Amino acid sequence: MNIVISGLGVVTSGAWGWDEAKDLFSAADPRPVNIDRSAGYHREGGARKALLVDAGRMGDWLSPMAARRMSPASRFAVCASLMAFRDAGLEPQPDDGTTAVVMGTTYGAAFVTEKILRQVFLEGPESVSPALFTESVANAPAAQIALAVGARGANNTVTQRQVSVIAALKQATGLLRRGSADRVLVGAVDEMSPLLHAILDRFAALAQPDDDGVETGRPFDARGSGWLGAEGAAVVLLEREDAVRNRGGSFRARLLGAGSAFDPGAPRSGWGKSPGPRAQALGAFLEDHGVSPGTVDRIVCSAGGLREADRLEARLIREVLGESLLPPVLAPTATAGSHGGVLLAGSVLAASGVTFGPTPGFAVPDREAGIVPHDGRPLPRPETVLLTACAPGGSAGWALLGRGEV
Amino acid sequence: MKVVITGVGAVSGFGWGVEELWCGLESGATSIRVPSVFDVEGQRTTLAAEVGPPDADAQAGIDSLRNLSRADVFAVIAAREALVRAGLDCGGSRTGVFCGGSTAGMAECEDFVGRIVGVRPGKPMLKLLASQQLNGPGDAVARDIGACGPVIGFSSACASGAMALGAALEAVRSGEVDVALAGGADSLCLLTYSGFNALRSVDPGPCQPFRKDRQGLSLGEGAGMLVLESLDQAMARGAEPLAELAGYGASCDAHHMTAPHPDGDGALAAMRAALEDAGLEARDVGVVNAHGTGTSHNDQSESCALRRLLGDRSCEVPLTAPKGALGHVLGAAGALEAVASVLALERGKVFPTAGSVPADPDLGIDLVLENPRRLPKASQTWISTNFAFGGANAALVIRSLV
Repeated sequence: MNIVISGLGVVTSGAWGWDEAKDLFSAADPRPVNIDRSAGYHREGGARKALLVDAGRMGDWLSPMAARRMSPASRFAVCASLMAFRDAGLEPQPDDGTTAVVMGTTYGAAFVTEKILRQVFLEGPESVSPALFTESVANAPAAQIALAVGARGANNTVTQRQVSVIAALKQATGLLRRGSADRVLVGAVDEMSPLLHAILDRFAALAQPDDDGVETGRPFDARGSGWLGAEGAAVVLLEREDAVRNRGGSFRARLLGAGSAFDPGAPRSGWGKSPGPRAQALGAFLEDHGVSPGTVDRIVCSAGGLREADRLEARLIREVLGESLLPPVLAPTATAGSHGGVLLAGSVLAASGVTFGPTPGFAVPDREAGIVPHDGRPLPRPETVLLTACAPGGSAGWALLGRGEV
Repeated sequence: MKVVITGVGAVSGFGWGVEELWCGLESGATSIRVPSVFDVEGQRTTLAAEVGPPDADAQAGIDSLRNLSRADVFAVIAAREALVRAGLDCGGSRTGVFCGGSTAGMAECEDFVGRIVGVRPGKPMLKLLASQQLNGPGDAVARDIGACGPVIGFSSACASGAMALGAALEAVRSGEVDVALAGGADSLCLLTYSGFNALRSVDPGPCQPFRKDRQGLSLGEGAGMLVLESLDQAMARGAEPLAELAGYGASCDAHHMTAPHPDGDGALAAMRAALEDAGLEARDVGVVNAHGTGTSHNDQSESCALRRLLGDRSCEVPLTAPKGALGHVLGAAGALEAVASVLALERGKVFPTAGSVPADPDLGIDLVLENPRRLPKASQTWISTNFAFGGANAALVIRSLV
């Protein structure tokens, strides 16, 4: 069974929808803004910036009445889902269980959790808002999508840090292959609250201000000090290729497969130095899909400027695909920040032949990483795109996309 | 391919292990009491099914676990017990971990935030957050057993554990893994305790599923972990399967964020999908292990779905609901309740629903009350249901291999 991506919806810093996302990655000019540090969560110094969604654009997709009952993450996810339907040339209609939803999230309901905990601690438990609590569960965005589009099929939320979006793709393809759904809205969503930003900064995960006060992710760069915190969502509509063709539709890309593996020897909240069993698993995955390293002609990776993480991902890629003649490596999180939706959107755009600009922040190669990311030169449209993601704690995931027919 | 359950492990309000779980369930007692993990002053209810201190044997296993969240510890101890029962010393690339949860390390995160805002003593230590994320329990299990295959966290609120089992079932069927450790773990925390209190969906006393004057749920904590593998593999290595995980189904109400569909449309769809996946029909259902939260609307909706599924048999098929005994363990509920189903099948008895006398006569169900009921041979197929916030529904079909 061939599975295709018939529509893409994107909500991220600097882009609402396909056309703006194309422009965003072509320009490769991230515009982080100051995060609210007034609550006192942050340490002295440290990161001040994040790539946040322009919520003022939401009205095109979501009425204020609908939005008021949703967390930021739910709003992003619903808007991206509606975009995905429209991009596929479809109108969402309540169904009898044929449309499923699978969402991945790295951090869950960051804003709502923060608000409820403040209410509990500072005003007492009786002050907790019931409306907020219903949005505090990690599956609230998936549930809100189902409500918005009338999707009565399986509704699933997976969470495996940076690998969440790939785990979601894996679950979604299973639903289609087993015939449990005719179409699946699958994607990833995250929101960046001040508390989450402060915590990530305390873990030294976020890009630090340089001498000029500039904070930028620098994938595979010797000066990398962390990634740019970010929020947003990307959702794709997955369908069987024959179903799309039968209705006279087209598709952005093919989804050839997805998989993941774990290194139990990895540090619990760190990255480790060796990909270990993850490299063998990625090699076996490519072999199972009939893809030799030489036929991968684009890589979209999760590297975002945190040196330890970037080096691990670089080793994984080099160990499996070889030390030389790597295909162009795209690092979309340098442009739109670190959230799962960026990886998904970046890989679909790449498979569609969208031109990516030079990798922001990269200038001084990190010899230990040994990868020089894309420099912005025009590239031929790829046949096969490999998406990779590494997470702290031991997980890594990958997906293969093929070129679409739009 | 038949997928079988060869090991089970549990941590619950009754204690650390499956025997403690079974003894508690069989007795008809409840583990719901005043919790000690946090102050319940100002809340509508003051009760929860808290996991008590471990005995010496369990403590010895816990001592080696450093800097894990409470939920992580529950998951690891339950997984170890499941592996011992399965006779496996697991690990390697052909083993995956599929773990559901809705709070994971939230209790530890609360401690961190409480320190930041100055209402709890001490500095906000980062180690409190090292296992805060929702994938924490699954990662902790994978690290403990040396699993190198896929490790995936599932977080669809109260259906998470059942969804993890559904994904694990497919991973074994498809050949992605040879062995799957699957289940769920959650610990009590202020966020969910205060939230359910704010929703006014808690019973001031211990929850009484399907009772006539039921008033709501009681929260709980714990973990259930199960070992899944193909029947062929289990037989080849001389293992004794405990039961078959025969089917899984899921659906969404797409109706309301917290209220179930009044006619149980989504619940019915999930149960039908699970039976179809198992190659069975509604007439094959011998016992229902109900979600049964004890809230008026949920029990009404669920019983409506069951009447639609079972037809005239709805008042003849024994139904039990463990949340009166175990509390609602949220993301672990589906897993812990699946373990309970396996134990019941193994022992040939349906455990009673704690505290629900008299049953609501208007629901049209055969609620097992007060004493365990012997299982007739024709009742060797259980359907176990879980329904979550946002209308996410999941159902499992678990069968005896006899």
